[in-house]
Order: sequence, then C-alpha cells, then structure tokens
Amino acid sequence: MRLRVLLWCGAILPLLPVALPASTTVEGRVELPKSRSAPVQAKRYEIVTKGGVLSTQPPLAVIYLDGPFPQPASLPTKQVTQKDLTFIPALLPVRVGTKVEFPSLDDTYHNIFSYSPAKRFDLGRYRPDERPVPSQVFDKPGLVTLRCDIHEHMRGLILVLNTPYFVMTDTAGRFRLGGLPAGHYTLRAWIDSRTTREKPVDLKNGQTLHVDFP
Amino acid sequence: MSASDQARDKDVASFRTRLFTAMMLIVASLTALGLYLAQRKVTSDAERNLQKNFQGELSSLHKLEELRHAALADRCNALVAKSRIHAAIEDNAIDLLYPSAKDELRDLMEGEEPPPEQAAQSLHATFYRFLDGTGTVLKPPNPKEVGQMDAKAEAQLSLTKLPDTQQIGYLQEKVAADGGAVAEILAVPIFSTDTGEVISALVVGFKPFQPKQTEAGTGMKSGIWVNGQLLLPSLPRSAETSLSEKIANAVADSHRAENKFRVNVDGSPQLVFYKRLNPGSLFPPAYEICAYPLADSIAQLHRLRWQIGGAGALLLLGGFVASHLVALRFSAPVKKLALDSEQNRVRRKRAEAALASTAEELERSTRYSADASHQLKSPVTVLRVAIESLLAREDFKPEVYEELSALLHQTHRFTGVIDELLLLSRMDAGHLQIASTPVNLSQLIDEWLDDLGALPDSPDVKIEKEFPVGLFVAGERQYTSLIVQNLLENARKYNRPGGRIRVSAHANGSDVVLTIGNTGRTIPPGENIFERFHHNSTPSAVSGHGIGLNLARELARLHGGDLRLVRSEHDWTEFEVRFSAADGVNAVA
Repeated sequence: MRLRVLLWCGAILPLLPVALPASTTVEGRVELPKSRSAPVQAKRYEIVTKGGVLSTQPPLAVIYLDGPFPQPASLPTKQVTQKDLTFIPALLPVRVGTKVEFPSLDDTYHNIFSYSPAKRFDLGRYRPDERPVPSQVFDKPGLVTLRCDIHEHMRGLILVLNTPYFVMTDTAGRFRLGGLPAGHYTLRAWIDSRTTREKPVDLKNGQTLHVDFP
Repeated sequence: MSASDQARDKDVASFRTRLFTAMMLIVASLTALGLYLAQRKVTSDAERNLQKNFQGELSSLHKLEELRHAALADRCNALVAKSRIHAAIEDNAIDLLYPSAKDELRDLMEGEEPPPEQAAQSLHATFYRFLDGTGTVLKPPNPKEVGQMDAKAEAQLSLTKLPDTQQIGYLQEKVAADGGAVAEILAVPIFSTDTGEVISALVVGFKPFQPKQTEAGTGMKSGIWVNGQLLLPSLPRSAETSLSEKIANAVADSHRAENKFRVNVDGSPQLVFYKRLNPGSLFPPAYEICAYPLADSIAQLHRLRWQIGGAGALLLLGGFVASHLVALRFSAPVKKLALDSEQNRVRRKRAEAALASTAEELERSTRYSADASHQLKSPVTVLRVAIESLLAREDFKPEVYEELSALLHQTHRFTGVIDELLLLSRMDAGHLQIASTPVNLSQLIDEWLDDLGALPDSPDVKIEKEFPVGLFVAGERQYTSLIVQNLLENARKYNRPGGRIRVSAHANGSDVVLTIGNTGRTIPPGENIFERFHHNSTPSAVSGHGIGLNLARELARLHGGDLRLVRSEHDWTEFEVRFSAADGVNAVA
C-alpha cells in the first residue's frame, strides 16, 4: 500500500509546477539518434552500451533547466525496481538528494552496485523479501550506472540533476517542460552518457518558449 | 752411348716424371677433397645436433607458455564475466578494478613459489596489472597484492594499444649488479561481453622457465636477450655485455626470427643460436639465446684432420711407390718402342735412298737410250747417203752393186731399229702421249698386206683375210700401224715356204680383236718372246733385233688394249691384239 502511495507521489510531483499560475513553459523537440530497432509498444526500455557510451534503447532524452535553485528540505523517494532481470525504469532522472529504493520483483538474488564517480555503492545480495527495501540517497549530480553483480548484463541509469525542472521526451523527441521560473537559464538535453546539448534560454512569465535541439 | 740413346733416355725420364706428377696430383686432390668433405660433415653434424638441442629447449619453453596461455585465457574469460570488472573499467573506477579482480586472481599470486623443477606445471605469477583503454598500465592501489615492481619495470608493461590477441613479452626487472632477472609477461585482452570490444588487458608476469643447466654435459648456456640486454646468468658480466652487442648486431642485420652465428666468448669459440620468443608481439622483441661451446667439436675436428691428413700422407707415399713402379713398367715398352722406331727410321731411310738411286738410274738409262738413239741415227744417215752415192756410180762390177744394195737395206733396217728404240725410250720415260682418234683398222691391214706382197724376198705364202670392211679402232694411226706392221712382218718372216698367213678381225663388244696366225716354226713353251732384246733360243736363218714384239705389246697396252700369244703348236702360231673400238663408228659402219 505504501508502495502505491510512493509511486503515485513520484508520478504527480513533477507535474505540480505546471499547475502553478504565471509560470513559463518550454516545449520543443530533440533530434534523437536513430533507433536501431522499431519502437517498442510495451514502452520497455533498456540501457545499451556502445563504444563505452550508455543510452536508452529506443533512444530517449532528458530535458532539464540548469540553474541555482534552492534545495528543498525534503524530497520524495523514487524507485527503480528489478523485474525480469531488468531495471524499471531503465533511465531515471532525479534531483540531487533524492532517495531511491531498489525493490526486487524477481524471484532471485540481485546485487545492485555502482562504481560510477557520482555515486559508489553496493547493496549486497538480497532477495525480493528484503526489508527494508535497499535504498541509496543520490547526493551528487551526475550519471550513475546501475549494475547487478550477479546478472552481468543488467544495466540501469540514474541521472542525478541539480534542478527540480526536468522532463523526459517521448520516443519522437518531443518534450514540454512547464512551471518554470522567469529568468536567464541554460536548457540542457541529456541524450546519452557522452552527449548533453545545451541552449541558453530567457524565460518570461506566462510565455511558452519553443526550443529545438538539432 | 750415342746421342740418340741419350735423347731417348731423357724422353723416358720426362715421361716418368710427368706420370708421377699426375699421380701425385690426383692423390693430393683426393686427400684434400676427403679432408674438406669430412670437415664439412663434422661441422654440419655438430651444428645439427646443437640445433636439435636448441629446438628441444625451445619446445619445453613453448609447452610452458601454452599452458600459461590457456590458463590465463580462462581467467580472463571468467574476469570479463564479472560485472564489477566491467563497472570498474567502463565507469572509470580504476581504483576498484584491482580489488574487484583480486578474488579471481588470488590463486595466481598466493602460495609459495614452487621449486624450479616444478615451474613448468605451476601457474605461479609474480605480478599482474591491468591496462586501460589506451594500453597504459593502471596503477594498482595496493601494489603488495598484485606483486611489487619498480616504476621503470611497470612502465614497460604498457603497450601502444590494447592487444586483440595474447601477447608474449619479456621484461627485465631489477637491473642491478647481480645481473637482474627476467620475467615472462603475458598480456591477455579482456573483451566486453556486451559489445565484443577489447576494453582492457590483463598483463601477468611469470618467472621464465629456466632449462636445467647440467643437461648432457654439453656446457650449453641459455639465456634471454631482450631490449638490447642479455641475461645469461652463467656467463661472466663482461662476456655477457660483449655477447649482447653481437646478438644486437646479428638481430639488426638479418631481421630473421631465428639464426645462429659463431663467436668467441672469453677466448673459447661458441656457437650461438637465437630465436625470437615473441614473434609479432606488441612487446619489445625478445630472443632465446643458447650458446654452445664448440671446444669439443673443434677438438674432434682436429683429431679428424690429423687422421685424414695422415691417411692422405700414407696414400701419397703409397702413390709415390706405386707410380714409380708403374712408371718403370710403362717406360719399358716405351723404351722398346723408341728403339724400334729408331730402327724403322734407319730402314726406311735406307729404302728411300735405294729408291732414289733406282729412280735416278732409271732416268739415266732412259735418257741414255734416247741420247744413244739420236747419236746413232746421224752416222747411219751418213752411211746410207754414202752407200747411195756409191750405188749411183756405174763403174763397179754387178756383184758390188748387189753388195751395196744389201748394205743399203741394212742401213734402213738399222734406222728402223733406232726409231723403235727411240719410241720405247720415250714410252719408258712416260713421255709418249697418244691422241686417240678413230683409225680404220681394215684399211690399215690391207695396206700392209699389199706392202708385204711387194717385198722382193717374199716367200711363197698364201694370205687369208677374214675381216669386215671399215672396222674402226680408237688410237693413234701411227702406232696402230706399227703394231699391225710388226705382227704381219713377223708372220711373213717366220713362215715356211708354201705356208699361209691368216688375218682376221672382228668387233667384240667395246673391243676389236685382231688375230694374226701363220704357219711355220713354233715358239717353244717357256720362252719369253715379249722380252726386250729377246733372241730365239734356236738358231735360225731369219732373226729379228728383238724389240718388235715388245714394242707392239707396249703400244697396245698404251692404247688400253693388249697383245698376247694365243697359241704356237703344230705348225701354227697365232697372236691376238685387242684394241678399243672407236666410239660409235663401228656401229655406223
């Protein structure tokens, strides 16, 4: 039950700023790399490595507004589950300081760990009934690669961002990021572990800005 | 001893010397050839043996290498299956690489170092390192756990790029006064299980396999030459340095992976084999070096050289004696031959001289008869003229005229004899040339028969003619006429009163045969009537001067024919002359 609540919170929270009045919206399209396979109907993504570059398959981008934003006192907890020997979601953007839980839905052991500079951790081996659910607080911005010591092929990504304003594109690359404060910022598009594009934006109240990342 | 004997002895001596020299040369060259072949065989045998030994060393080395390679490949496959290794390499967490690999590679490093004789079966590594994506060594956080090595040696583990395949290298570590040690290093690529790309490499160092030094007492020394430095522990330091330079030169010169050369180390000759241990490797080239002392094989060669030389000398001596004997035996017949040829020469000279004098004599006699004929002719002519002038006078008695005319007749005969002699002498000298023309033999016979009939002292003989009209022979008319005249005159002269003469002629193929027969006294058998100046053995009223038949036969032969006596018996004597028929004329006639 509690899990449900958490899930719900995770889904609703990014939408909150949209509801605020007198806010600014940025929308547009990101030119995504060509997908190697046809779009998957089930919307299940996986992380692929090619030449040391990690990206989602089919490709997705994360759009976020960089800037000095005050750190809130508390942040909602997020989850990355392990099901059918994959991470769900495969790519999770979170704000710095977010606690992420790693519940397992597989009837086997997992050993989630990361050697990424942004966060090194090792949850050790645990079963689905492990309580409390193993979790980590991601307190440094950057990309964290999730791996399982037992299942070598498992890959997951957590993109730790220093901003509350971020959104994932759809598979066509379209995005809409609303509830933004007015001001001069940099809008960035994370495409894969090596590629992040950026554009300066001048946001005015009540305005909808159109930004495309070629 | 005569001069020719001396010359002959000299010849024989020189022949003997030449024979002896030739034999000596053959024996000497055979000995030299034997020496050369034996030396080559000994050298090549020795080198082949050493080469075999060297290959044996190498193969034991390779066996160990293969073992290590297979084991390491297994380790690396296991390592690469580990997420933590991937994570450490891909997520740039190099500091966690060594701890992550520690468990997997623990058994490589743990445990006591095995004794040398078990080194081949053991996988005891002395150190290991990982290479990053550029081929550079990743510094271990805790060198104690992965085998300590100094920074310089560690830097040598780096490659210019990550290898696709296993690489063998040799590393000289701790280059110190004690000579240092060599480590065999194996670099094994680590492939990503995701992409199949090479993401890293594991470099493991081992103690190189050291073959047993005491084997077979060959005195062989083996070592490794790497990066311009030689490590041959059993060699003195100075010799090691000089040998190292020589190997460097040889390697640089030939560019061959394997070769051998001779060198003097510390004053003793050595055959040095080298073979590249890591052909095609990304690591610096390393060579296995085996130096074999050649003292034994040289001593063997010396021994052999003495033996063959001795044998050659013996052979030479034997050859000397044999050649002397052979020369003696050979020269005896040669001596005899020389003597014989000398005698032959003398004989021939004598014969030649005799021949020359005979020819001279012959010529002189021919010339004499010619001269004599000429000298005789003029007094006869004078005599005849004188007789004729006497006959012209009218104041002699009739019986004087009779005498004078008989004398005149005799001068005619005399002239005839002289003419015949002249002709004969010309024939003898070979000066008589005949111009062959068709001569009408039938006409010629008729003319002479008429003349015979006209002669005053013709006996009463009957003449039978038996020849066709116009029978032609080839010859000169003058001489053909002389032959016919001679035979007819003889037939009349030696006839008896009331006898007969038969003349017959006929063409017989390419010949014309004339037969003249007459009655009268026969010629006794065995009497050579054709001899010059022949005279009847029995006295007779008529006599010739003895050259008529001879002349006739000579002339007949000169014309390509012949004259012979067919028979002489029972009051019948018959001669036959063969002439050559004149071409084509008889057929027409």
